[in-house]
Amino acid sequence: MSLASRWRRIDEAVRLAHQPPGRSYWIALAASAGLAAFGGWAYSILFREGLQWTGLMRPVGWGNLVVDFVFWIGIAHAGTLISAILLLFRARFRTAVNRVAEMMTVVAILTAGFLPILHLGRPWLGYWILPIPNQRQLWVNFRSPLIWDAFAISIYLFVSIVFLLVGVVPDAAALRDGATGWRRGLYRALALGWRGSDEQWRHYTRAYLLLAAFVTPLVVSVHSIVSWDFAVSLVPGWHSSLFPPYFVAGAILSGVAMVITVLVPLRRAFRLEDLVTQRHIDLLTRLVILTSTIVGYFYATEVLTALTGAPDDPERSTIVYRMIGPYAPLFWLMVACNCGGPMLLLSRRVRHSMPAVLVICIAVNVGMWLERFDIVVTSLSHDRLPFDWRLYIPSWVEWGITLGAFGWFFFLFLIGLKLLPPLSIAELKEEATHAG
Amino acid sequence: MPVEAGILATFRDPGAAASAIRALREQGFVVRAAMPAPIREVVQAIGSPRSTLERATIAGALAGIACGALLTVATSLAWPILTGGMPIVSIPPFVIVTFEMMVLAASLATLGALLLGSWRGGRPRVFPQDERFQVDRIGVFASGGDESEAERILHASGADGVRRVP
Repeated sequence: MSLASRWRRIDEAVRLAHQPPGRSYWIALAASAGLAAFGGWAYSILFREGLQWTGLMRPVGWGNLVVDFVFWIGIAHAGTLISAILLLFRARFRTAVNRVAEMMTVVAILTAGFLPILHLGRPWLGYWILPIPNQRQLWVNFRSPLIWDAFAISIYLFVSIVFLLVGVVPDAAALRDGATGWRRGLYRALALGWRGSDEQWRHYTRAYLLLAAFVTPLVVSVHSIVSWDFAVSLVPGWHSSLFPPYFVAGAILSGVAMVITVLVPLRRAFRLEDLVTQRHIDLLTRLVILTSTIVGYFYATEVLTALTGAPDDPERSTIVYRMIGPYAPLFWLMVACNCGGPMLLLSRRVRHSMPAVLVICIAVNVGMWLERFDIVVTSLSHDRLPFDWRLYIPSWVEWGITLGAFGWFFFLFLIGLKLLPPLSIAELKEEATHAG
Repeated sequence: MPVEAGILATFRDPGAAASAIRALREQGFVVRAAMPAPIREVVQAIGSPRSTLERATIAGALAGIACGALLTVATSLAWPILTGGMPIVSIPPFVIVTFEMMVLAASLATLGALLLGSWRGGRPRVFPQDERFQVDRIGVFASGGDESEAERILHASGADGVRRVP
């Protein structure tokens, strides 16, 4: 097949993904919209009647909504990892998966960004965290990690959107001329007058590399900052210098697992098996194995460090509580999902079975949510004052908001898939050219 | 907008396009190209210097550092809140906010420079418009010399279409 034919096939494959959606797409969209609406309704109860509808009670002041926030920020990391870091390392396998991962990043930040506001008792005062000149006699405290969060996450959202849309520019130009109706207008706007001249490519390739170079440390900084929400406190189980790399590794594990979770059904539904091949999935699963071992190392380090403490050390007490206390089943399920499950991927047979890969990656996502629950909740429920210890059990309203967050994520993602090219056309063409 | 006069050729094969560009440049033609992806051999044959976009990025990064430092230090001094016995100007936490501001400003500056460079390089006057150059063909445009000679070189290099512009 000639190179020009291969280039046309790539365009056609992406165009097929934008054909009128079938029944399964509408069912998935309706289900996710329904979940999001249920979450919105559950939140309206909190908004109208207050936090009494949650399971929060002293000493556990942070529950499911903070767990969800940390989880979704973690999911947001894989897009940038796959796209930016693998671009800097010239890893070619990124080309077939980077667009989906970048879209996932933006949608996950849009999901995560809401949750700290929803978690507030008086959400209408959420804007107090922004450094806005005001007459309220208030100013933000730049020494607080919550302010670092506000800066890090809003800037991460903005830069991720820029990174995504800059990547879309040449692809939108490729689809622009063959499109009709509103889609033509959309592609024309996204293409920003792109003509593919050598002068444009000269600036574009440089700019994309520079953006990747800036986005990469941003990824590491964002989840490090989220970890400092916990680590700069004095709560046993939180006050640890291990947290930033621990959180970053966990975020990458959960993010890559989520990319695979959406990519496996997507390549089948949009008939992209020729472009998103078994090899791409295989390489992503190897990334899951790598990050799973790193996360396992951190689990072991955390436990062993705590166990070396004196018997009355609160850190030791909290870690032992996690392992054999009332939350122990969640702890061991987390270890099984995040460390045990991914090891099955060492077998080539398992890696090449799409249902098995999908199940393992969904289990990793469950495990990573449990990890955040474990960190946030068990530490608070077993603090330094034994008379204060109390179990936290999320209420149905909190579970509703958690499910709603998943619905919101998939709703936005499914819409995004139909608006933006799900694959990077220019990069696939470049890869096809250099593959001979 | 009037297009500069010259010869436009279309190619299917990047190698043929690259050799045509090299031959035209040896004969003193001004050569430009358009393609659906950044094809290494074509870009190398054109021989354009590397983009200096990073100057804008560095300027943006420095501006971001200045804004971040000013925001944290100046406003903390203007509204001093004592928390946890920490100094009003606490360098480590302020570095975090300053770093984030640097990334924001550098990204904005890079985006601005890209849009400007892209607009200048994509004007119809610079390169004749043809939708195939975003899909499955490589366009080579030669100007500033004997047009018959350019046509001969392009035909000899394996162009699948050669025409005079405008």
